[in-house]
Amino acid sequence: MVTVVTETSVNKATSSSRRAAAGSGRASGPRRAVPLIKYGYWWWALPAILLVLAMVYVTTASGAFFAFTNWTGIGSFDITGIANFQRIFTTPALSGALWHTLVIAAAFVILTNLFGLLFALALNRTLKSRYVLRVLLFMPVVLSPIAVSYIWKFVFAYNGPLNAILGAVGLGSWQHTWLADPVSALVSVIVVMVWQNIGLVAVIYLAGLATVPQELEEAAALDGAGLWGRFRSVTLPMIRPSLAIATTLMLVQGLRIFDQIMALTNGGPFGATETLATQIYKQTFTYGQFGFGAALALVLTVIILVFAIAQQYATRSRDDVSR
Amino acid sequence: MTQQARRVRTRLLAATALPVVTALALAACSSGGGTDSGSSKEPQTISLSYMIANNATSPYEVLAKKYESTHKGVTIKLTATSVDSYGQTITTQLQAGNGPDVFQVQGGTGQVQGTVNLAKAGLLAPLTGKNIAATIPSGQENLFTYKGKQYEMPVELLPTGLIYNDVAAKADGVTLTASSTLQDMYKACTTARSKGHALFALAGSISQNTGIVAVAIAISQVYGKEPNFNADRASGKTTFAADKYWKATLQTIVDMKDKGCFQDGAAGAGFDALTNGVGSLNATSYAFTAPVGAVADLENTVPGLKLEVMPFWAPKGEKTRMIVTADDGLAINAKTKSPKLTQDFLNWMAEPAQASLFAKTSGDLPIVGTNALLPQYEPVKNIIDDKSLIGPFPYSDWPNGQVYDALGTGVTGLLTGQATVDQVLQSMDQAWG
Repeated sequence: MVTVVTETSVNKATSSSRRAAAGSGRASGPRRAVPLIKYGYWWWALPAILLVLAMVYVTTASGAFFAFTNWTGIGSFDITGIANFQRIFTTPALSGALWHTLVIAAAFVILTNLFGLLFALALNRTLKSRYVLRVLLFMPVVLSPIAVSYIWKFVFAYNGPLNAILGAVGLGSWQHTWLADPVSALVSVIVVMVWQNIGLVAVIYLAGLATVPQELEEAAALDGAGLWGRFRSVTLPMIRPSLAIATTLMLVQGLRIFDQIMALTNGGPFGATETLATQIYKQTFTYGQFGFGAALALVLTVIILVFAIAQQYATRSRDDVSR
Repeated sequence: MTQQARRVRTRLLAATALPVVTALALAACSSGGGTDSGSSKEPQTISLSYMIANNATSPYEVLAKKYESTHKGVTIKLTATSVDSYGQTITTQLQAGNGPDVFQVQGGTGQVQGTVNLAKAGLLAPLTGKNIAATIPSGQENLFTYKGKQYEMPVELLPTGLIYNDVAAKADGVTLTASSTLQDMYKACTTARSKGHALFALAGSISQNTGIVAVAIAISQVYGKEPNFNADRASGKTTFAADKYWKATLQTIVDMKDKGCFQDGAAGAGFDALTNGVGSLNATSYAFTAPVGAVADLENTVPGLKLEVMPFWAPKGEKTRMIVTADDGLAINAKTKSPKLTQDFLNWMAEPAQASLFAKTSGDLPIVGTNALLPQYEPVKNIIDDKSLIGPFPYSDWPNGQVYDALGTGVTGLLTGQATVDQVLQSMDQAWG
């Protein structure tokens, strides 16, 4: 009797669970335990979102607000409107800083991508020692930019190794105050920046080159395409995403360069290597002109945004265009 | 307990765990250092921040330890910050409301951490100790007071001039004294060059060093003849570009470059050119311009090294003067929780015994009291003792730090040929505002 009741109860329970399952769309079966913790709720990201909002976007917005004031970092301030921005574009030293920023960024993007791509092509296949060479090429990237710059400052010193080597090989006439000449100081800064970042760009291109099927290149070679033809028609189109990434990264990095300049030349000689980034630091922290420094930072941000968007548009793929 | 009941209990425990853990974390994070909110007695632990430029023992550290040993129950927490970042560090802390109780400041308005700037912003407490007023050198009240109240207590007299290696100079047949002239100096430059050396070492890439060379010249050539130049400039009666004595000062630097007074590659050199060039037993230069308290540090670093203090020589017929300034000092945070203790500490620092100990440790001159000069000051004793031949840093009451930076950067431009004397002076006027 009990068994019949039990079986009836079970049948009823099974039927009811089956109906419930049918109503909910779930497969029928024994009821499963509800887990204590469920994953993937959107509000789990809320603390991180609030932190990013507070530490990045709110601070950026407050910095942008101070760009329209004359705040010195302490005490009270007055709203000055666009006076800070007018001052930026009417001060020769700051116009010079803007020009240096663009020159350094352009040279940095072109040279790192050129040499990075060349190294990537050279170390992509065939060469047996390519893995060791890749490591050596990437090593400068992991070093501190400040430490690298101070070592290069020693190299470029008037009594440093570079002039000593030039003198030793009979090129004494080439000896120079590399960091005290306005032209060679700018070139020296670019050399140090490019030297340290070639490895990073090469790694990006190596990743892109790895996706290029060797058969396509062989087929192009069989069709009579030369080295340049194979590169232009087969390789380059396929590494376009790597090109976009490398140029964007180097453009942003070049526009906001700071460490190397402060260590090598401190913006000198006589402002010959000043950039917007070094001016932002000096105006804000050395001179205590927080409002003006914020205005400079806002201008630099807009410049980076404009160039980054333009660069993304220029390197978009044909598929993106046709959509 | 049924399985369902067990799950309910587990969920309840999990739901209550988070707020309990949060409450415990917040309680642990609450500040506990040195505050005594429940007692009427103020905290006997105070914080003291100061600048450092090298590893030498700071006089602030020495004096703080002495105060602790003579005042039972008092603790002074020391924070040393590099001179490069001290200004922005201290102003950021003060603005955020978590600044130290006592901290080093510099007089006037020419620096970010300038006393008058901080006093205007309401960040400093007026000083009330009976010994403190006596520390202000005559005629320099404007650097340490604001609206009639003193906000900084200067701690030493800081002479600035030439750190001179007489041993190296005499080895090359060069003899210069404090009474030599600018013309004697030019002759010595030629003699030094003939020996393959240079009279001066210059860190041309560092605007602070090029700037200090310019003001060490200007203290004689400008302020010896126009002691009120700064006031006249502030009122608009004159400008740097229109002042013939400032032109002569910068022209002196150009002449020094043309006559080979500076070492090769001076325009791009760093501080190592000064210490290696002059502060060495194999010196290749005889002099560099700096706050001369560095003599003690250099002699301690290089055993057997003997250096002297010299003024920057004035042209023949003019009086040679030196910068002797009471620029560095201590101030009290307006929001300190220990107002009585901090005032007592500064009042104690102003006593002659402490002033003497501070000067002995730093290698500079005591702010109060009369003590025998250190040996390196012997050549300039007559200048230092004559109030008409000394003056503060010219830039102390310039309106902002950009003017001095324009001067230092401009001197580099003179050395590289990127700028003329007139252009540098115009840039200083532009920076003045």
